[in-house]
Amino acid sequence: MRGVRIYRGAIRWSLLLKPVFSMTKESVKFKAGIVMLVPVLILGLLSIFSPIYYKSWYFFPKDLPPSLSSVDLFLGTTSNGRSVFWATSNAILNSLVIAILTTLIASHLGLFIGIIAGYRGGLIDRTLMFITDSFVVIPSLPLLIILSMLLKEYLTLPLLSILISITSWPWPARQVRAIVVSLREREYIPIAMLSGLSHSKIVFKEIMPHLMGWHLINATNTVLYAIGSEVGLSILGLSILSEDTLGTMIYWSILGYGALFRGIWWWASPPIIITIIIFTALYLISTSIAEKIEPKLRWIR
Amino acid sequence: MTSFLRYIVIRVFYFFLTIFTAFSITYLLLRLMPVNAVENAIAQITAQGQVYDPQALIILRRQLYELFGLTGSPIDQYLRFLRSVFSLDFGPSIMAFPTPVMELIHRALPWTIGLLLFSVIISWVVGNILGILSAIKEGSWVSRILQGVAVTLHPLPYYVFALALIFLFAYLIPLFPLTGSSVYIERISIDVIIGIIRNATLPALSIIIVSALGWWFLSSRTLTIRMLGEDYVEYAILRGIPWRRIYRDYILKNIMMPQITALGLALGTVFSGAVITEALFAYPGLGILLFRAVSTGDFPTALGIVSLSIYGVAIGTLILDIIYPLIDPRVRHR
Repeated sequence: MRGVRIYRGAIRWSLLLKPVFSMTKESVKFKAGIVMLVPVLILGLLSIFSPIYYKSWYFFPKDLPPSLSSVDLFLGTTSNGRSVFWATSNAILNSLVIAILTTLIASHLGLFIGIIAGYRGGLIDRTLMFITDSFVVIPSLPLLIILSMLLKEYLTLPLLSILISITSWPWPARQVRAIVVSLREREYIPIAMLSGLSHSKIVFKEIMPHLMGWHLINATNTVLYAIGSEVGLSILGLSILSEDTLGTMIYWSILGYGALFRGIWWWASPPIIITIIIFTALYLISTSIAEKIEPKLRWIR
Repeated sequence: MTSFLRYIVIRVFYFFLTIFTAFSITYLLLRLMPVNAVENAIAQITAQGQVYDPQALIILRRQLYELFGLTGSPIDQYLRFLRSVFSLDFGPSIMAFPTPVMELIHRALPWTIGLLLFSVIISWVVGNILGILSAIKEGSWVSRILQGVAVTLHPLPYYVFALALIFLFAYLIPLFPLTGSSVYIERISIDVIIGIIRNATLPALSIIIVSALGWWFLSSRTLTIRMLGEDYVEYAILRGIPWRRIYRDYILKNIMMPQITALGLALGTVFSGAVITEALFAYPGLGILLFRAVSTGDFPTALGIVSLSIYGVAIGTLILDIIYPLIDPRVRHR
């Protein structure tokens, strides 16, 4: 006999997400973040309706200022005769795809490694944390730069996300580990172990619910990090230059065609403004969650 | 004293261990890449249409293979990579062919270090002072405006804010040059100094504003608010200790510690952000060198800059670690 089983049945996934959903209905910061983010998301989703000609050069006269005559010309045209509106819309979507893929890879890898290190302890913990700390020491952008220099010819959205993930998993891993270690100190975990609960059930039922809020914060921050890194790489010309992303729009308009020197502000400003809006909005959302789950830790990003 | 010495020896040991691991990871990642970096680089050079002496190309290819550690057994390769990284010898650069990488870096480095030291120190001091003041004057309109600004600036990378600054200063209010005119310092004259200031103002501003009003402001503010709620501060207030002394001895001292730790942790981010900011403003530091290295496919130079940034961050952390016990007596006596 393996002792009395207290818990039976499948893991209730709703239990994992409960702390997240009950979180932030009344927070002003959360609401402000959502209000800022939703228009950007809608603009990004509009790219589904983008006409087939939006990629072709010189379809429109070049350097037209914004006019209200049609949707295509709403934000004017670029110096290679494309509609800024559709370019922006696709840029938002592509940047978000990169960010979301990165988040799926990096913050889950971080969660996984953090849980293993924190839960198992001992040698495994020390080894994993040593590797994690060494990654933290390497300045992330220079490393990203040489990696994407090597792969410049082959860059695609998923590949770029994988590259960004390489440098963005250590922070979540460290944080998750710290929380898991502190959870292990509480009495109910040894009790659950002694009462014969399997490790996977302890992790999923007893530890995960406490981590979900932090995981959400880490995910939000990874989205920020991914968008920021993509813009940074683009400024050096290392993003997927044939696709529209927020970074490549900045690269082509400001660095490629010198849009600001020539006064073509309607091409250069949308990606900058939208990047700033996304950053502010997601930061507000992630701090509002952090304040809710851990009022003491208000200053943590 | 002996315990202090032991502390330093341990720190220095960790310094070498982290550098070693960081380079090993870099090597592993480079080796895991499914492309032949050297042939890739050579292809990029020849594609640019420059005419190279075949003899020189052969030498270059051999040196690149050695630099990337692609000759000999895997252990040999690894050791050779470590040797070139530890001896800071990255061979000749590709963009200015026979010139060694280190010479290019050597020319750019003072600019970057100057900009970084200046802006990191200024922003740390200004940010902390503003944060503490805003916590003390909690609720006043200045404090509220600063908070609003901080929440917007805090998450932004420098270069995104730099783009906004470019938009503002170069397009709307043309005060500063957008592309830095490269200044060669032969002798110090007023023109040279003005040139440096004109070149450095915008990159420095974008780093200082974001990190002072973002990071340092928010964290010192929250720390101060938390300190004000501590029991010993309340006790000090009840004892009638003057506010000036409470701020100086009870709050400021306790805030310094976490803020100095945070400074150490932030160095890597600051460096990465600063490099790209430099590239945007064509500031003649490492950033623009990296930009040129990237656009000419110059791997040795890029690798040199990355290695240097690993050194830079590790050395910065080491210096902070050594300063630490001088500020915090608790660390000294452990």
